[in-house]
Amino acid sequence: MAMTESTAPVRYRDGTAVVDLPAQIDASAERTLNEAYATAAGHGSKTVLLNFGRVEFLSSTGIALVVGILARARKDGRTITASGLSDHYREIFEITRLADFMKIYADESAALKGGEAT
Amino acid sequence: MTRDDSNWAKPVKTLELSDRDGAINANVRGRRLNAANGGFGRLSQKTFSVRIGREVTPQTVITTWKARFGDFWPKGQRMFLPATGIAPGEVGVINASIPGAPTMATGVLVIYADDVSFSFMSPEGHPFAGPLTFSAQSDESGITVAQVQELTRASDPFWELAMMVPVLGERMQNDIWRATLRNLAKHFGVDATVESKIVVVDSRRQWRNAKNIWQNAAIRSGLSAPLRLIRRS
Repeated sequence: MAMTESTAPVRYRDGTAVVDLPAQIDASAERTLNEAYATAAGHGSKTVLLNFGRVEFLSSTGIALVVGILARARKDGRTITASGLSDHYREIFEITRLADFMKIYADESAALKGGEAT
Repeated sequence: MTRDDSNWAKPVKTLELSDRDGAINANVRGRRLNAANGGFGRLSQKTFSVRIGREVTPQTVITTWKARFGDFWPKGQRMFLPATGIAPGEVGVINASIPGAPTMATGVLVIYADDVSFSFMSPEGHPFAGPLTFSAQSDESGITVAQVQELTRASDPFWELAMMVPVLGERMQNDIWRATLRNLAKHFGVDATVESKIVVVDSRRQWRNAKNIWQNAAIRSGLSAPLRLIRRS
């Protein structure tokens, strides 16, 4: 369903797969997100950190895509965490209650250290 | 400010509602939103989709869907929206018929709306806990596809049991969206098959949320039905 070019590079740090989410997360990001999760899963990482630092636009379809990744991870026995959310996106996570399903950290280092989410 | 700012509703503690003419305005005002983790039953991820064709754009599909949301529902289900329609922060009142029971009143909060998608969250008492997203997009071959996606649990043990009843359960939880998408496609002159993908993500029941049954919209609607009849007479 891709219409807009988007990339979600996957990095590996301390056993965690870090997915740098694209600036725009809507229907056009479906393939990108699914491929990024598949790459992270293929690497065998037990934790996948979604880095929202670059995100500028998140639609409800984008939220549905993130929910899809959460569902897959849950089935696969993987943990999804998130970092780099602006206040606006924290608010969205509050409305959609996505925060119920994943720990949210202020930044990548805090996420990699684990512990209490913010 | 991000580009999607105006598309999202502001967080609310409880739902506010001004009465909608002709509706049973019950079980909405003062209710908190209920996320999937606040529900009771098995957690399911569901996607229903229908291919509408190349002639209609996703924007046209969503404009029409938003404007006539209730018209595409199967008979017996009604949605009462404010004049502003499906817009972020607006509350819709649902009056739904359940076989052998009084009309159930509940509602939804519109948490997101743009020109190709919109989303609802359900309040306490609604049969399902979790977000519902309605969208339209073009696939690789340029065909417009309309979708309903949800990640939900039945809200309480009553609804979980109801969903397990053959025919009734399927009708309440899945057929409503299949019928809606069929009706939407028909509106654009397409007689299409609705595809469904249902995955149980977590088969465990959340017994800590069994108490949600106190807010059950069907039970409360049933209990208040005699009072409504007395008020009307």
